[in-house]
Amino acid sequence: MRLMVDLNRCQGYGQCVFLAPEVFSLHGEEALLYDAAPDEGQIERVRRAAAACPVQAILVEEGPRAGLDTEADRDRA
Amino acid sequence: MTTETLLRRITDYGNRADPYPLYEELRATPVARQEDGTRLVGTYREILHLLHDPRISSDLRNRRHRERAAPDDEDDQGLPPAFLKLDPPAHDRMRRLFMRHFGPPHSPRRVSALGEELPGIITGLVDGLAGRNRIDVVDDFAYPFPVTVICRLLGVPREDEPRFHVWADAVVASIDPGPEENPGERRRAGQQAKAEMGLYMSGLMADRRGSPRDDMLSGLVNDDIADSGVEPVELVTNSVLLFVAGHETTVNLIANGMLTLLRNPEVLADLRAAPAAMPQAVEELLRFEPPVHMLTQRTPLTDVEIAGVVIPEGVPLSLVLASGNRDPQRFTDPDRFDPWRPDNQHLGFGGGVHGCFGAPLARLEAQLALTELIRRLDSPRLAADPPEYRRNPVLRGPRRLLVDFDGMRP
Ligand code: HEM
Ligand code: SF4
Repeated sequence: MRLMVDLNRCQGYGQCVFLAPEVFSLHGEEALLYDAAPDEGQIERVRRAAAACPVQAILVEEGPRAGLDTEADRDRA
Repeated sequence: MTTETLLRRITDYGNRADPYPLYEELRATPVARQEDGTRLVGTYREILHLLHDPRISSDLRNRRHRERAAPDDEDDQGLPPAFLKLDPPAHDRMRRLFMRHFGPPHSPRRVSALGEELPGIITGLVDGLAGRNRIDVVDDFAYPFPVTVICRLLGVPREDEPRFHVWADAVVASIDPGPEENPGERRRAGQQAKAEMGLYMSGLMADRRGSPRDDMLSGLVNDDIADSGVEPVELVTNSVLLFVAGHETTVNLIANGMLTLLRNPEVLADLRAAPAAMPQAVEELLRFEPPVHMLTQRTPLTDVEIAGVVIPEGVPLSLVLASGNRDPQRFTDPDRFDPWRPDNQHLGFGGGVHGCFGAPLARLEAQLALTELIRRLDSPRLAADPPEYRRNPVLRGPRRLLVDFDGMRP
């Protein structure tokens, strides 16, 4: 899994930190730090964090066996 | 009909099951003046602007006429207002103090750690329904679940949780009176419940002063910052706010969620096959059927112009979030429920300085609850559609959601 946060969009409210605290952290009040290549075990938390970001600044690239890629998803893509 | 009667029609119980055509009518007028002087705003852009405008107050003491306060305005019997009803800087000071014990940067792991306990609570509740072929999603699940969670968060001992469920019932009934009942009586009962909850909570806090445990109340009473000029009664009223704000809304998100999924069986099947998509589905629910339909507490501190219209100082202002969420200027095909919708910046949690404090927890609760309900219930279907709704037009959701099913999967 690879992860990117568009720090120009990020507002620093930290919604992602609540949901995946091992991957995202806030330094001081507003500076966001994150692990760009987190452990696969964090995938579910990272998905939750990405969905919760109010400005959709978090981009997740999942590996091939990520589980999101079901037939239903392919039909919709 | 004229736009002047929109609020009356939105409030009319006959329109509770489907207020969305009224919201469409509302969006044709950027600022709709109502018979009682209230201004309604229902377009996405304007709501977003007003949510972030520091000239718009959440403190009802800034209303020109107290008697024109919103119908759900409660009299807090001389207690200090909770931070929901305060403006900066008093709001920020109290919210920051509470956030130190709930989220980053001070307590970044609190919600995620609580999240580890949620599956056990959910399984316990669902297992309790085994052997039945019909449940009421509201009373059997969506309602007890968040109450239990908020008790864990604050540090209410498990054996005292039943007392909280009773208080929660009274509080909900007070904002949700039946048609035949005396609303004054219910309101008093609700306030009584809040007062008792406050007293009980002060007791828990006293126990924790100097001997902290791993819960939010312990953090609050042992915080040095809290010692500097924060009144103990403020900690209590705001803890009661967390309790109340944390379950009356989540119950609607879970119940509206089940209702919407059962109305969209293909989506339900997709989500059962790919539960990884549930976080996005919950975001779409917060747009499509939000638990909080409008914010009725706002008042302009000065004349404020928006979309070429002046909203005068001191008048009641309501931001109809559920209407903004269906604004076709912002969302393509807004009346379609589509969890795979890109760019879903909904207004379900409000925004600006009062943006929902508990959002991360609410999201986690709804995601886990809905995932497990659709996984365990075999062939669920609605026993009645539309379901019976609560009276309340603001915190809108089903009063009962009867679902038939063939059995419980392990
Ligand atoms: C699905 C569930 C929920 C929804 C839809 C929701 C919605 C909202 C909305 C729209 C506001 C803004 C109010 C305003 O601007 O006047 C708000 C504020 C708030 N919410 Fe939530 N909420 C939910 C769950 C929770 C939970 C679980 C908690 C507590 C753990 C919580 C605590 C609060 C508090 C304390 C505020 C006041 C924030 C402030 O004034 O700064 N909410 N919520
Ligand atoms: S949730 Fe989004 S906006 Fe907020 S800190 Fe994380 S990346 Fe930034």
